[in-house]
Amino acid sequence: MIAEMRDALQPALSKLLGREVEISEPVLLAGGASKEAWAVDADGEELLVRRAAGGVIHRHTLSLADEFAVLEAAHEAGVTVPRPYGYIADLAGREAFAMERLEGETIGRRIVQKENLAAAREALPLQLAEELAKIHAIPPARVPFLEEARLERMVVELDEVDEPHPAIELGLWWLRENRPPPRPVVVNHGDFRIGNVVVREDGLVGVLDWEFAHLDDPVRDLAFSLVRAWRFGVGGKRLGGVGDVEPYLERYNELTGFEVRPEELDYWELAGNVGWAIGCLTQARRHLTGQDRSVELAILGRLGVEVEYEICHLLETVTAA
Amino acid sequence: MSERPTAQELCEAILEFLGGEILPTLTDQRLRFRTLVAMNALGIVHRELAALPPEDDAEQRELARRIRLGDVPPGTLGRVKADVEARLRIASPRYLERYE
Repeated sequence: MIAEMRDALQPALSKLLGREVEISEPVLLAGGASKEAWAVDADGEELLVRRAAGGVIHRHTLSLADEFAVLEAAHEAGVTVPRPYGYIADLAGREAFAMERLEGETIGRRIVQKENLAAAREALPLQLAEELAKIHAIPPARVPFLEEARLERMVVELDEVDEPHPAIELGLWWLRENRPPPRPVVVNHGDFRIGNVVVREDGLVGVLDWEFAHLDDPVRDLAFSLVRAWRFGVGGKRLGGVGDVEPYLERYNELTGFEVRPEELDYWELAGNVGWAIGCLTQARRHLTGQDRSVELAILGRLGVEVEYEICHLLETVTAA
Repeated sequence: MSERPTAQELCEAILEFLGGEILPTLTDQRLRFRTLVAMNALGIVHRELAALPPEDDAEQRELARRIRLGDVPPGTLGRVKADVEARLRIASPRYLERYE
């Protein structure tokens, strides 16, 4: 497999870079059922190549061609992202794209805990707000293939799982009954949280994982980092286990002029939890249906109950208010 | 309540992981043998679970259906949360400490 990738990458990267390049031995960093990530150097330039894998691509995720187009649009808009190098329509039989390989920490648990990242955690709330403001300013016309997502999609996904989950139903019911006035949709990253950013000692150096990009209420993206699962055990720091929400919200409002109210954040934090609770069930389905057998996916079907507990907890808070 | 994966399905996932991903990497004969014994033990659990009657989720289905229709009388959240907590004590008991 590695020899085959080596033989395919050398001409593909030479074409992208416009010259004959020497490449290093490619290393497979992650191999899911739908996407692979390869680390490879071309004449010393450190690259990361994302390539389609054989398995089924999940619904509501972008193709690699579209994901690359979003990355390019984000780069043009000044979002801090790995530099996009180019799209490769056929890399050993499958589509792929190459981007800069950033050094730094991406593992959520380490970002919220490691001592040497304390200064980064100080900087992250404002940096996250600034990146999001830039993302939400990307002209939708620049990425016309993005679809609009609405809360109703969550109901469809839950029905497809066909399991009774009263806590999720309660969450969905509250979201239907208490919907804030809708805002005009903007380009959403779709998975904007600790775990999908590259962090070094002085803070954020890259926003990754654009495959869930879509058009949505801006506050949906803004509140996603608040979901407790993405605080990685540091529950007291509501913003992704790294800091407080207030400076983050203030900076975002300052840059966008959107005047997002804290109650809207509460609403979309609950929505984020409901979405992730359903996400756990659909991930487990990939195992149960045989699409992608994995003990990691299987156990998510049971760990979703943690998110259901958080939904109940948040509902207690909002109904008490 | 009928949760997925069921206990039996979890056994299957672990058996596949041990047999498919761990066993082929083991060169130590003693470890190989003990892994095979562990898989046999898990097989016993799997067959024992198969002999149990299937769980009835009719009550949960009815509750979920009523909430979907907007029929949420006072006390619903408390009832739902108690059930979630019971499931959590099986799936991830230490998670509750985060709320103390």
